[in-house]
Amino acid sequence: MTALVKLLFLAASLSPAATLLVWDGALAWPLFGDVTLLFDLAPLSAFFLLLVALGAPLAAIPMLRDDAEWPTYALYALLLVGMQVLLLAGDFIGLFVGWEIMTWSSYLLLLRSPRTTLATAQSYILLNLLSAFALLGGILVYYSLTGGFAIQAVADLGPWQGLALIGPLALAFLIKVGTVPLHLWVPCSYDEAPDTFSAVLSALLSKMGIYGLILLLTLLPGGLAGGLSGGLGGLYGHLLDGPAAGYVLGWIGVITSIVATFKAIAQEDMKRLLAYSSIAQVGYITTAIGVGSSLAIGGALFHALVHTLIKLLLFTTIAGIVLRTGLRSFKDLGRLIYRMPISFFGVLIGIIGLAGMPPLPGFASKYLIFVSLIDARWLLLLAAMILSSTAAFLYCYRLIYAPFLGHANSPQARTATEAPWQYLVPEVVLMGLLVALGLFPGLGVRLFVDPVLTALGLTPLGSPSWGELATPYGGYDGVVVMAVFGGAFVVVTSLFFLLRGRMRQAASPYDLSYAGEVPDETTPLHYGAGMGRELRRIPLVAWILGHSTQGLYAGLVRQTQAAAGLLAGLYSGRPQVWILLAVLVFAAALTVQLLAGGI
Amino acid sequence: MHYLLDIPAMIATSYVLGFLFYGFYRQYNARIQRRWGPSIFQNLYDNLKFLFKSETLSHGPMFFFGPMIIVSGAVTTVLFIPFLKDSIWLQGFSQHGNLILIIYLFVLGPLGNALAVGSSGNPFGVMGVTRGLTRLMGLEVPFFLGLALVMLQYETVSVHAIMAAQSSIGEWTLVTNPIAFLVILLPFIASMNAAPFDVVGAPQEVYAGPRVEFGGRFLGVLMTQNMMLSVGKLVLLVDLFLGGATNLFILIAKAFALFLLITSISAVFPRLKTEQAVDFFWKVPLGLGVVGVVATVWLQ
Amino acid sequence: MALPLTPIWFIALPLLLAFLAPLWARLRLLLPLLFGAQVVLLALAAALVPAVRQAPLLETIVIAPPLGIHLHLDAVALLLVTLFHGAAALLALFVWLDEGVAHLRGPRPFVLLLLLVAGCDGMVLTGDLFNLYVFLEIAGVTAYALSALHRDRAGLEAGLKYVVIGSVAAVFFLFAVVLIYLQTGQLNIAAVAADFAAIPAPMQVLIGLSLLVGLGIKAELFPFNFWVPDIYQGSDPAVASLFSGVLVKAFLFVLFHLAFLLLADPRVAQVWLMGLGAATLLVAETVALRQPDLRRMLAYSSLGQIGLIALALGFTSEATTAGALFHMVNHTLAKLLLFLVAGLLIRRAASARLEALTGLGRQMPLAAGLFVLASLSVLGLPPLAGFASKLWILTGFAEAQVFWPIALILFGALLEAGYYFRWVKALYATGDAPVARGPAPAPARSAYLPLLLIAALLLLLGAAPFLLEADLVGAAQALLDRAATIEGVLGAQP
Repeated sequence: MTALVKLLFLAASLSPAATLLVWDGALAWPLFGDVTLLFDLAPLSAFFLLLVALGAPLAAIPMLRDDAEWPTYALYALLLVGMQVLLLAGDFIGLFVGWEIMTWSSYLLLLRSPRTTLATAQSYILLNLLSAFALLGGILVYYSLTGGFAIQAVADLGPWQGLALIGPLALAFLIKVGTVPLHLWVPCSYDEAPDTFSAVLSALLSKMGIYGLILLLTLLPGGLAGGLSGGLGGLYGHLLDGPAAGYVLGWIGVITSIVATFKAIAQEDMKRLLAYSSIAQVGYITTAIGVGSSLAIGGALFHALVHTLIKLLLFTTIAGIVLRTGLRSFKDLGRLIYRMPISFFGVLIGIIGLAGMPPLPGFASKYLIFVSLIDARWLLLLAAMILSSTAAFLYCYRLIYAPFLGHANSPQARTATEAPWQYLVPEVVLMGLLVALGLFPGLGVRLFVDPVLTALGLTPLGSPSWGELATPYGGYDGVVVMAVFGGAFVVVTSLFFLLRGRMRQAASPYDLSYAGEVPDETTPLHYGAGMGRELRRIPLVAWILGHSTQGLYAGLVRQTQAAAGLLAGLYSGRPQVWILLAVLVFAAALTVQLLAGGI
Repeated sequence: MHYLLDIPAMIATSYVLGFLFYGFYRQYNARIQRRWGPSIFQNLYDNLKFLFKSETLSHGPMFFFGPMIIVSGAVTTVLFIPFLKDSIWLQGFSQHGNLILIIYLFVLGPLGNALAVGSSGNPFGVMGVTRGLTRLMGLEVPFFLGLALVMLQYETVSVHAIMAAQSSIGEWTLVTNPIAFLVILLPFIASMNAAPFDVVGAPQEVYAGPRVEFGGRFLGVLMTQNMMLSVGKLVLLVDLFLGGATNLFILIAKAFALFLLITSISAVFPRLKTEQAVDFFWKVPLGLGVVGVVATVWLQ
Repeated sequence: MALPLTPIWFIALPLLLAFLAPLWARLRLLLPLLFGAQVVLLALAAALVPAVRQAPLLETIVIAPPLGIHLHLDAVALLLVTLFHGAAALLALFVWLDEGVAHLRGPRPFVLLLLLVAGCDGMVLTGDLFNLYVFLEIAGVTAYALSALHRDRAGLEAGLKYVVIGSVAAVFFLFAVVLIYLQTGQLNIAAVAADFAAIPAPMQVLIGLSLLVGLGIKAELFPFNFWVPDIYQGSDPAVASLFSGVLVKAFLFVLFHLAFLLLADPRVAQVWLMGLGAATLLVAETVALRQPDLRRMLAYSSLGQIGLIALALGFTSEATTAGALFHMVNHTLAKLLLFLVAGLLIRRAASARLEALTGLGRQMPLAAGLFVLASLSVLGLPPLAGFASKLWILTGFAEAQVFWPIALILFGALLEAGYYFRWVKALYATGDAPVARGPAPAPARSAYLPLLLIAALLLLLGAAPFLLEADLVGAAQALLDRAATIEGVLGAQP
């Protein structure tokens, strides 16, 4: 029975892949009046469906290890249905339906975790519903402008109409993406969600916001294909060589990534760090969407793909660590490299990708985004992005140092064993995919990015060969980089062994040059918890770390509660008050109406 | 076949130039401080001594691979920088790379080594790495901004194309875009691990640093890569700002001039703390960069 | 024997059955008959659909209008009657199958439930103002008695309060009826409507406001709805579900029916009705944020939905009206489900407080799941029915380029989410506080049958709202088309 349920669940997790492969032709489902749901697979949505198709089964395999909880499985399947509906939708109502199914099914999945607090659950559902209702509001504005729900470019749009349309939609998608200051729900929910589900939240759900943002640009007259005279540029003019409104979006994205990066560095909890890192990475994508050129959208799509793979890998690996040790804080772990070597490689590949180091594909996507910023001549944005992208090295280092290197800081870390195969299989697959994509960025562009760009009316990036990522500004060859580095590594290592002399292994982990003293087990040798603390001495970083949006939202909640309390006073249990009020209102209304009636 | 000669030639060039430059640096510093410095070959001797140490302590496989990665990173970086202009020699694989790739390759090795430092289990080493990454976070912003000004000026990220566009002294980027050079100068000094931003390597005063656990051959290897990478950085700046070099002698002359400038600046300033350095980078060079962007990009 | 299929049965059959209650009690047929009667009437409603689609049915009693009494079954009345009997049938089934609600299984509740539904039917069907008042009182009195059924302190207090406030409402209504009769000499609604414009303007205002206050109290609109939470809290959840699902809908219909009929230009009342609706929505949703008692929370939520329906009906466009009628249907179903599930949960936890219900979702997964489903429908989240009707209303507003109600409705939904999800979270919380559980055993599995049926209906209507589309649009037209109604009753006017 259990096996059957699990098998069914696995089959359900493959459904996005099946949809992607076999979907042909459109499907229409009437609701009422002229509201009809249209389902069709456009190249843009096919790209995001590909992400879901890749991610869904890989995230599902670790869930198989848990006791077969049919509600979890059912909700996950529902979530996948929601995402497919969202992506297949050719009209806004379908998009909204998918969006909402996704929202509430993921919320209910979030509740499956015993760690979820009321504050987290409420911030998750309320901000996501705010996003959904903003989306619905924007859809209704769109409906009043065009008289239909089909997703297509609006023919004619004034600046104010544009604002009325873009405002709510952008709010909706930016909440989903988690940009500052709308990111409140992201860190706590990614952190407290069931460990195997966090990967889905970060890798797949946040991408739906990205999809929405790109979709939003295609709505404007001229769309993305119009270049500077269409889309955002056509509506609000342009700044340097990019759309002025996109410049605002670009700064939103970059400020998000800077703030989130520094917050990530300051986290003590592995999953929370990854959550902030997610916000930061998606911030880059937001910036690229703001640029809106062919290079930028290409970079955004590529980064979305890479980020999906990386975050699946990292969250799954971290879930493995938490499973085996029961610990999630940096200060409790350490030296797991010998106990969980495959997980170590998982995190290693993950952080190399996250840091955007060549030759992994994180570099390819960042390269495209950087070049697009230079192309738009938005150098200040570029500098700000470099800041967060370089600061990311710090949290990446922490993510690998604190759990895997240094000294084991708890009995659990000393005795942990490698994660079970359900975790390792997706990890290995993801590592393979990342390395392959790093080797062949040109192939990635050709297969995944260019079809979308062509469909959006943008110039495809093109790639002369599988390995080569080409831009008008020049490119690089992933195969050559990897080969040169690999070759150098082999030669250097062999030469090292040819040198005279012998190697001696340290007798114990405490065999260190430690300021002239001899450390032992009681010496605090693990630097995992304190790392990054000294950053607070930098004024900018201290300012960022010293501020938070929590106070704002808490204040909002307090005010609403106070208003509720005030109004609840009206609902006293005394019938005489009810009658008095009714009569008073009657009299007042009569007076007003008679006076206003001009008698 | 061509590569078989070219690659060793590039590595050798960078190595030889590296120990000569650093030998000169020690002499030069000594003279400023009114000492007799060591011989100009002293760095070569030191390096060879380390490389042939009879015993080396290792802290496990990851610790071993760190120095290998950092040297591979240095070699890779050097191989992606074109040393000469209008020549088929000393080009390595630079046709397959670009400026942004090179900037990232600069930090690839040190990050690999950071894993080894962490693996050693010495908290002081990790502190050193954190300091290094913090400084990197500070310097990279103005550095990249300055380079972006150059990339924007030539509308390419290919080092070859930038080099080719500067055919006479009047067309050197140093002349046509001096503000970009000023913006990157100080961050560049920091990236060369030179004073006043050298607290990370902590050569004398501070006991702890990324290299605290490395001894023997590992230390030799680290020293080798440092010299090679420094030459690579110098050559890159020659390519970008000084019009490149058509033959080895011009390259040495230009690189040496640049090195002299940097050495002179670093010889007279006291060391900054890491946070001070970062704050400084975000104020002075970055401010200059913003001014540069406004002046050369916005106001055109 | 061929019994004619006429609307009179909607009122006559329950009355007949109710008077013979002692007999049924003796025969132990109460519960099957309660359920059976509703099903029969539901079938009757279904059978009348083709006829009503052609033209409204007029059932004259004794003399033809305007002098006599008649029942007027048009598309909208049929829709509501169907809804009432559907809801009542589901409730009756639940009472039949769930042995836990002992005090709803005797002869007294049998009579009261039948009379309540008959009263509601009468209000919707009648074409005569005085009859309307009579039915209003029938429904009112049975409702007072039903809420005091529990015979405990809370129940009796609720019943008493209900009597007081209900009488005030009746007085206002009767006052308006008397004034109308004095002014026009008519009691037939259609005839009154035809002559209403002739009444002096100040008197029109007085009549209109009296009606508004009287029916506003009954229909739970904002400044007149302070009694609602107390009554809902004191009554049995099953009874409360009937109040929220059937009784209020009937009063709401009467209010809007009269407003649309009496006023030649409904825009006069628009500002009042939409304003009251908006205020009801906003106030109720805000107050609900802090309710620690499940029944009270549901009461406020019900008020919020009523406000939404009033807002949409008050706008008087065809799309919003059709949407509002659809929302009535969905809200009735969802609240029925919510209150019944709440009853199960409360019985299990022996308390309706938030803390007492914490973690109950893991003990009663099906009940909690149904609660979540109904909540989602109330919130208007797809793919449930509440979404379709809300969307219908919203597109109606968007079509007319009026955006403030859209913003208000969406904001209200957000507030609603704020408290519904607090309860959902509590149900699934893994609090470490020891939870006291009542002595009641888990309900019989068969008791879930009507609940699952409602859930299925919610899903069906959410996925395929087009099933009801023709009826809803027809109902909206019938409600809005003043001239046709008057003409249908009085014949073509010269």
